[in-house]
Amino acid sequence: MKTQIYLTAFIIFATLSNTIALVLEESDVDHIEVLMPLAEKHCFSCHHDTKRSGGLSVKSYFMGINDFEKRIVRGGKVWQHIIQTVQSGEMPPAGEPHMTQKEREAFIYSVNSILLRSLSANDPGRVVIRRLSHTEYEYTILNLVGVSFDAKSRFPSDGSGGAGFDNFPNTLFVTPLKMERYYDAAEEIMDLAYANPEIWQGIVSKPYKDSLWNRFTNWLSNIFLGKNHTGKHEIAAEEVIVPFASNAFRRFLKPEEKQTYLTLFKEVYDGTKGNDRFNVAIKETLKAVLISPNFLYRYEEEQPVDHAYALSNFELASRLSFFLWSTFPDKELFEVAYRGNLQDPVVIRNQVKRMLKDEKSKRFSESFSTQWFGVNRFREDVTADPERYPEMTASLREAMYNELVEYFHHVLTDRKNFLDLIDSDYTFLNEELANHYEIEGVEGAGFQKVALHNNPRGGILGMGSVLTATSLPIRTSPVLRGKWVLEEILGTPAPPPPPDAGELPEEAAADKNASIRDLLTFHRSKPACINCHQKMDPIGFGLENFDAVGRWRDSYGLDPIVAWDTLPSGEVFNGPSELKKILAGKKDLFARTLSEKAFTYAIGRNVEFKDELYIQGLIKNLIENDFNTEEFIIALATSYPFRYKVNDGAEKFKILAKN
Amino acid sequence: MGNWHISRRRMLKGLGATIALPFLQAMVPPGMSVYNMAKKPIRFACLFMPNGVNKFHWTPEQYGRNFELTSTLRPLSNVKNDILILNNLMNKGSIFPGADGHYAKTANLLTGLPIYQTVGDNLHSGGISFDQLIAKHKGQDTLLDSVQYGMERINAGIDGAVGFTRLYGSTISWKTPTQPCSREIEPRMAFDRLFRSSLPDSKPKNDKWKKSVLDIVKEDADALQRKLGRADQDKLEEYLESIRSIEKRIDNEEKIKSFEKQITPEIQKELVGLNLRIDEFNETFIGVDITEKTRQMLDIMALAFWTDATRVGTFMFGNSVSNRNFSFLPGVQGSHHQLSHHQNLEDQMEQYRIINEWHVNQYAYFLEKLKSLPDGDSNLLDNSMVMFCSGLRDGNAHSPYNLPILVGGKGGGGLRPGQNLDFEKNTPLANLYLSMARVLDMPLECFADSTGELCEIHV
Repeated sequence: MKTQIYLTAFIIFATLSNTIALVLEESDVDHIEVLMPLAEKHCFSCHHDTKRSGGLSVKSYFMGINDFEKRIVRGGKVWQHIIQTVQSGEMPPAGEPHMTQKEREAFIYSVNSILLRSLSANDPGRVVIRRLSHTEYEYTILNLVGVSFDAKSRFPSDGSGGAGFDNFPNTLFVTPLKMERYYDAAEEIMDLAYANPEIWQGIVSKPYKDSLWNRFTNWLSNIFLGKNHTGKHEIAAEEVIVPFASNAFRRFLKPEEKQTYLTLFKEVYDGTKGNDRFNVAIKETLKAVLISPNFLYRYEEEQPVDHAYALSNFELASRLSFFLWSTFPDKELFEVAYRGNLQDPVVIRNQVKRMLKDEKSKRFSESFSTQWFGVNRFREDVTADPERYPEMTASLREAMYNELVEYFHHVLTDRKNFLDLIDSDYTFLNEELANHYEIEGVEGAGFQKVALHNNPRGGILGMGSVLTATSLPIRTSPVLRGKWVLEEILGTPAPPPPPDAGELPEEAAADKNASIRDLLTFHRSKPACINCHQKMDPIGFGLENFDAVGRWRDSYGLDPIVAWDTLPSGEVFNGPSELKKILAGKKDLFARTLSEKAFTYAIGRNVEFKDELYIQGLIKNLIENDFNTEEFIIALATSYPFRYKVNDGAEKFKILAKN
Repeated sequence: MGNWHISRRRMLKGLGATIALPFLQAMVPPGMSVYNMAKKPIRFACLFMPNGVNKFHWTPEQYGRNFELTSTLRPLSNVKNDILILNNLMNKGSIFPGADGHYAKTANLLTGLPIYQTVGDNLHSGGISFDQLIAKHKGQDTLLDSVQYGMERINAGIDGAVGFTRLYGSTISWKTPTQPCSREIEPRMAFDRLFRSSLPDSKPKNDKWKKSVLDIVKEDADALQRKLGRADQDKLEEYLESIRSIEKRIDNEEKIKSFEKQITPEIQKELVGLNLRIDEFNETFIGVDITEKTRQMLDIMALAFWTDATRVGTFMFGNSVSNRNFSFLPGVQGSHHQLSHHQNLEDQMEQYRIINEWHVNQYAYFLEKLKSLPDGDSNLLDNSMVMFCSGLRDGNAHSPYNLPILVGGKGGGGLRPGQNLDFEKNTPLANLYLSMARVLDMPLECFADSTGELCEIHV
């Protein structure tokens, strides 16, 4: 196994993209000795602790006495970014002392050497236990109990973390208020289930009647077998509790847990009067299951070893299932886990294929795409001004949201090519949205695939949801749209404006009399702004043909729209179609963005520099398989960090072993 | 790296607790209820306004007792003698390398210390927030130690450009440096949590098995603790604490009884009225009439104070960077955050000012409401300290200096309101907390970067 990983690592080393030097012989060069004077000469004057241009202090890595290398490795992601900007010539910026080609090469080589030396392919990282997100809670309750429960409006909301997803463990909390709501929810859910005979039958398949006969036999056995024997009602209860709790806990219920829950059942049963006491006791017991930490948290047990180890089959099944279905494993996955061969990559491959075909995978499409592209609250949060845009009704916003979900799901499961996210010649519309886009021939409220002939709308950049979410309430914002593309598609966010920037140029020029040309010039006229705005603005201007609610337009009133521009990397385009072609060509950047987003979503922790080899592996998978969606998901699900974990308190067990 | 990180987190957790020095426990004598005590408890509330103020129309020109309210503060004319306008306070904790325009100035408004720059891995507010410190030490006698209300759900996503999770912009109350409090944002649910059972037509809830159910899950949690690593155990501790806090509520019959006894016919009338308003609002206005929804939240807090359901509360008019559309106000065409970047254009600054004034208006509504409710020999406002604040001065410049801070109420006689005060430049905001702690009879030696009390505000 290990050899295989090192082999993979070697191959990846050898095929690293051009940002990283190809040959790495171990030499006696002290990289810090090379690096420090260069950084001092070219970086420190702006990137020091007080000025922190672009939010970065290079100097801070060289403060103190030693351990510079360790610090650089710890800030590995930052340093990757640094070598990118140095390589592209973006840094040092024009006007600062020139960095010679030789200096540049030495700088990049030394940073690369330090970073690469630190990488190893045997640290899967660790994931903190995660509380179910409200979405996961809803779907789990739906699949487990059969009841629809609107958790998002009933529970206090959560924040998001990592790459911006709501399933990030460190931003999911339990507070007294939330706990109260979990309790109330469990009660309400069990009441709803009980009130619906069909649903209740799904939980209590063989109803136990507290009939005279049963009471009589229980009484008889009490006399002859003693108080502690198991009564018929308890056997019946066990048949309900065990499968329910096993599904809820995503593993088999342990014998001692079974006893605990049966104790509760008995307590309620014995303390309740009336014919219905079996059901009452079941309800209370299952309520406890629904607020148990075993249900509310997804966790992976620690093993007493000080090296990385494979997750148990049930834990792995749970990761897979929450990744693609936002719920607990179904019967087949549970059984595969039980048979004990889920760690086999071939088995995972087959399961992933099956799971993607299941309609539950649409939950992944929805959750992942709407959060990635920042429109998960699109239906509730009205960003467009209702007076200016009365046509943005709740149902149109819903349609725009659904367009993205339908589209993404089609890309994932049918077209199977992630590049379609950036550009394609089709989309998904219903009549209302088609009217909004002025596309003819679509009827009804249902969504259908619509071919776009010579229409530049294909892909997410032509979608009403994304275009509206990246606009201001009363008009478009080229800056916001450009920023969005840099962050969400290319993964190269522009640094925040300097604290003393004060005025956002775009706003100042938003004077109604200013033409688009004025805007362009104004944006890039200020030295403090030019560096970042020349990255953001052109992309935004390329999308100016879409108005603040995503409709096509050719002019602002009388002034024609000028949608041509030049990217800092030199490409010239005119209009959204040409812009999208250029963006779709930036495969490495898009592959990295996609890989890091999916990694965080699926595994539940941030991508750190130490994950670089795994991320490179995913990027390679995308490039080599022409962005095949299925192969990518399989690669992620079979990756080392997805299947393994390492303890956070490894020393704890060492100490134990000594004793 | 991982281990170092956790131990630091643990250490700082410990620090958060030691900030609080021993208090003189001027608490209720055992067996005695607050309601028959001569001196009424002091209530603390903090109302947070996002996105700063139009700096030219905030501070009154004259200092001292004879000052004229500015256009933004004019809604406070009925309670002019009940407020303190505090100038030149700043939160130094919001300035650090990497700090951004909003998040670093919001999450720590009540902690006074720098937050960690993180997209979520190691969320940290610098310290326990001032409201939670009060709750911890003064909240034991009431149904809830504190309440947290807001108007907007926590902002989704992270701000990749500045490297902060947006969660930081949505929370000012921190139970511990690493645990933000949950907020209620729906009047219906906030009301029901406190008052549902006090309405005349309410059916008593059957909670017969609640304790048994909680016992079982606690057993589960204990068993689980033993199988987890340390970071996981920390996380699970939240769960256990939450369970314990529910248990405390159902166990403490005396507390519940004394709360119920407090619901006089007069209070019940108020409750019924508010309940009706919430019902009507949910039917007709949901999501539209922000003013009414805001006032309902504030009314719930006022009634929570009046019934002594709690004595500590925070309210966020919006999350920081909130871009709520304020076009419903005459003279405003646009949304909050957008207009806060006014470019010093006169027209935009005036719209920004109108939005500020709306916030002050709601604050005035709350103060007047408290003033109308009798409390002991005086009224509820006299026995309260109600802070109004933003984490920024000028929103256009994201300026963290000279924060807009108001304090309403007499603090049970400990405060001397009716003044517009100019402090020395860059006086720590934490000095105000120190002062308020004294009024609350929980003197602190220091809080965050405090250098001393604001003597001028004391009697």
